[in-house]
Amino acid sequence: MIAFEHVGKRYGGRFEALAHLNFRVARGEMVFLTGHSGAGKSSLLRLIMRLEKPSRGRVLVAGHDIAQLHASQVPFYRRQIGVVFQDHQLLFDRSVFRNVSLPLEIQGVEPREAARRVRAALDKVGLLHREKALPVELSGGEQQRVGIARAVVNKPALLLADEPTGNLDPQLSADIMGLFEDFNRIGTTVMIASHDLALIARLHHRILRLRDGRLVADEGAV
Amino acid sequence: MKRAATPRQTGAAPRRGKRLAPKHRPKASPEATGRRGARSQQTRFISRLRAWGRHHRAMAIDSLLRLVRHPLGNLLTMLAIAIALVLPAALWLTLDSAKLLDAELEESATLTVYLETAVDEAQAARIEEAVGAEAGVVQTRLISAEQGMAEFQQSLGLDDVLAGLEDNPLPASIVIYPQSVEPDAMGQLAQRLETLSGVDEVRVDLAWVERLRHLADLGRRVALALGALFGLGVLLVVGNTIRLAVENRRREIEVVMLIGATHAFVRRPFLYSGAWYGVGGGLLALGLLGLGNHWLSMPVAALAASYGASFTLPQLDMTGSTILLSCSTLLGWLGAWLAVTRHLSSIRPR
Repeated sequence: MIAFEHVGKRYGGRFEALAHLNFRVARGEMVFLTGHSGAGKSSLLRLIMRLEKPSRGRVLVAGHDIAQLHASQVPFYRRQIGVVFQDHQLLFDRSVFRNVSLPLEIQGVEPREAARRVRAALDKVGLLHREKALPVELSGGEQQRVGIARAVVNKPALLLADEPTGNLDPQLSADIMGLFEDFNRIGTTVMIASHDLALIARLHHRILRLRDGRLVADEGAV
Repeated sequence: MKRAATPRQTGAAPRRGKRLAPKHRPKASPEATGRRGARSQQTRFISRLRAWGRHHRAMAIDSLLRLVRHPLGNLLTMLAIAIALVLPAALWLTLDSAKLLDAELEESATLTVYLETAVDEAQAARIEEAVGAEAGVVQTRLISAEQGMAEFQQSLGLDDVLAGLEDNPLPASIVIYPQSVEPDAMGQLAQRLETLSGVDEVRVDLAWVERLRHLADLGRRVALALGALFGLGVLLVVGNTIRLAVENRRREIEVVMLIGATHAFVRRPFLYSGAWYGVGGGLLALGLLGLGNHWLSMPVAALAASYGASFTLPQLDMTGSTILLSCSTLLGWLGAWLAVTRHLSSIRPR
């Protein structure tokens, strides 16, 4: 599903955020990405989302070198990836329902069909009863779950998450991770960047460890 | 709308990536695939077209609601647009009426041949014949001395004074409607007519018709230049307003771009806002023009009456109003397009 081939990323000529990255993630796999802050986790995810292009090497997603995508194709590429952000990137001027339906709106899904899918996604994250609420009325954990619902409403084949449990207490964090595991179980490839080592050690999935932009360990690989 | 997804699948369960994984598609004979492909491509195209129309409608309404939500500020923007449109439009209208006047004048461009006072009626009739035979003369009208006197009395209202005169001091005259109102042609005609016997003087009154025409020409150019300048002003007003709107919704734009919105999608609501500003400004401009017309019509009519003429201020007709409204809408749209496009490149999802 994802392949990094000799990938390096420099910012502003000097600073090397990522270097010599070589790894593959199979379809349907669940992978954690860990390392200290500044180790390059976010940069790596940004490369997959094609927010940036690698300075060296190739990033292949589903067999395509995504650096080759024309700027006009990038939006359509991004629609196929669900992304959960640490600060969840919700829009505060619209309801939970409208937030979750945003990707479907962008894709022009017919409203009745969209409503059905939004409710299904909200149901999955246990927030169906809050669909009319505004994001500010929700707790941090609930907001994150709305973010997850938005990421999966599209039924993406690939789900990325950047520190999805960053600001949550251990119990809520475990719940959120459980959600990701559910999605993985139905075949979604999941990649989660997190520095919550204690939590991810308990979950028994593959762990990619980054240090100073280099891959230093690949544990539990199949 | 037919969808490829099975209706039974109701959960948010992400399926194995269909689009990312072409090899997971069920294998079928190439022929069947081709036929199904063509049909699904067609339905996909139609559903995309529908989605496109839906988003246009939604954004048109949404941007209008956003305008209505802040009525005062947006009204001021529209008023600025309206004022910028009213000035060149009013000037153009004035010139248009001058053109009407000009056409009337052109029709009345004549030469007057004054005969010597000694000429009697029979002679005058012969001279008129001779004049009518000249090349370049379309029509002639003989005004005898008595008729001239009568007209003079009528137009001046000086019955008593003139009645006191013993002799008619006016000569008979012939009014000539020439074929060409070009100054050169009329000058030559006048010279030829002056050589006829019994003709005292030929008068050509064309210089001021010419002057008026030049003036109107100049005015029209000024109006066009002003129109271009004020059009640019409208672009700037709308552009600046939209720039602020984009800045206000920066976060929203970043988020939708993160989840796969195209530039066209992001641009659309702002383009509609710009067009609405244009529509509002155009309507206000029409209102202002109507108001101005109403305000000026009384004194203008009085002024015209004092010259013994009837003259009404020109009004924008249906075509003119439509042109003004479409121009302002287009300018609003264009201003928004420029502002958003310039701004979008600076917005990159974090």
